[in-house]
Amino acid sequence: MPDQTSNGMKCNEFDSLLSDALDGVLSGAALDRFQAHARSCKACGPLLAEAEAGRSWLKDLTEVEPPANLVTNILASTTGVDSQRLRIAAPVRQPRISWLDRVQASVLEPIWAMVRQPRFAMSFGMAFFALSVGLTVAGVKPADLREVSLRPAAIRHAYYNTQARVIRYVDNVRAVYEVQAALRGIKRNVTPAEPGPAKPSKERKNDTSQQPEQKQERNYSQTGEQLILASAPLGPSFRDLPVVSVTTYRRFV
Amino acid sequence: MEDVQVVAMLVRRCIAGDAAAWEEIVQTYNRRIYNICYRFAGSSDDAQDLTQEVFIKMYRTLSSYDHIKGAFVTWVTTITRNLLVDHFRKTKQDRMTDSMDTTASEHEDAQPLSEQIPDPSAPPDTRVRQREVSETVHAALGKLSPELREAVILRDLQDMDYREIATVLRVPEGTVKSRINRGRAELARLLQRTYRQVM
Repeated sequence: MPDQTSNGMKCNEFDSLLSDALDGVLSGAALDRFQAHARSCKACGPLLAEAEAGRSWLKDLTEVEPPANLVTNILASTTGVDSQRLRIAAPVRQPRISWLDRVQASVLEPIWAMVRQPRFAMSFGMAFFALSVGLTVAGVKPADLREVSLRPAAIRHAYYNTQARVIRYVDNVRAVYEVQAALRGIKRNVTPAEPGPAKPSKERKNDTSQQPEQKQERNYSQTGEQLILASAPLGPSFRDLPVVSVTTYRRFV
Repeated sequence: MEDVQVVAMLVRRCIAGDAAAWEEIVQTYNRRIYNICYRFAGSSDDAQDLTQEVFIKMYRTLSSYDHIKGAFVTWVTTITRNLLVDHFRKTKQDRMTDSMDTTASEHEDAQPLSEQIPDPSAPPDTRVRQREVSETVHAALGKLSPELREAVILRDLQDMDYREIATVLRVPEGTVKSRINRGRAELARLLQRTYRQVM
């Protein structure tokens, strides 16, 4: 800006008062001198007009609305920065976790999460239903379970009892009985009589092994071929059925 | 503009880790900062990024604010201005290739500035015309030098007083007034030239 003096005011002084004049805070003699300089100075006159016009243009600019997600983004970014900074500055001590909690977290919770799935619950329900129906048909009552003794001897006794009952049941099944009888008949027809065991030599007399001499060597299953014929009784219900004769070798102990 | 004691209390709560206090600060000042960034940077995307950067910097340096030294809004505006200047320096090469015929922002209708001036022969709707004038002025504002632009933005758009602007810009009040005057005059010349081309 040229440093000219017009109406007792320099251009620099005019420039410093221009803002106040546009703001309306200039008054009295200062305002008169300012307006006189603007009228007479070829540089400051247009400057006043342009500054006034520019100010007017800027007043037309209204505030713009920030984007809707701006606050959310700011809070997310600042919170993230802060937590990261705090983690670096002062690492937080992890609380001690007991082994029970670890087992629960690593084993039980995944299992429980799987169990809670609808398909697993449905399968479990169906299995329970099938088991209860099976036990009901088998005649097992929950009340009987209370009388079960858990002593080892009682368990062993129950085991052998059950085993004998199962064997008896299987042997008494008619189809099994017939098949076994047929197999024995075939075997008997095909296989000739077994030769008896070789007689002990006379050298036995010289045995010095201090073992007691076996006086009785009668083995009826090998020496004597006593055939015991078993036949099914011909009851009224079995008359139409073929008669099956069963020959067994019995060992008398 | 702000109750010093209330803002000081908010800042203290925020430093103590009160998330609600920080959210209140963000809610109070995001509009102002966004508008400064938008008018200075020219584009909405840049303004959004810059506003976030301003708040991140604020959050990190909040403990350095001293309410005795000045108002919180002045401190916030100073941070904003410094970031805007940094941003301007980084994108200086891009701006050197700009001209009045380039699109200034996505708020405009993707037309050159000279084409955005409404045709006086056809009287348009008042609201549409007002919007177009605002966009034209916004585009012209982007053509000012950063020193003049920041001065007129703080004075005419943010209504800050000269002393606060001098604090923010770290220049004497006289320099502030001079920049404001020159900025306004330059803006008027740019707009007159634009309208003269259309006419």
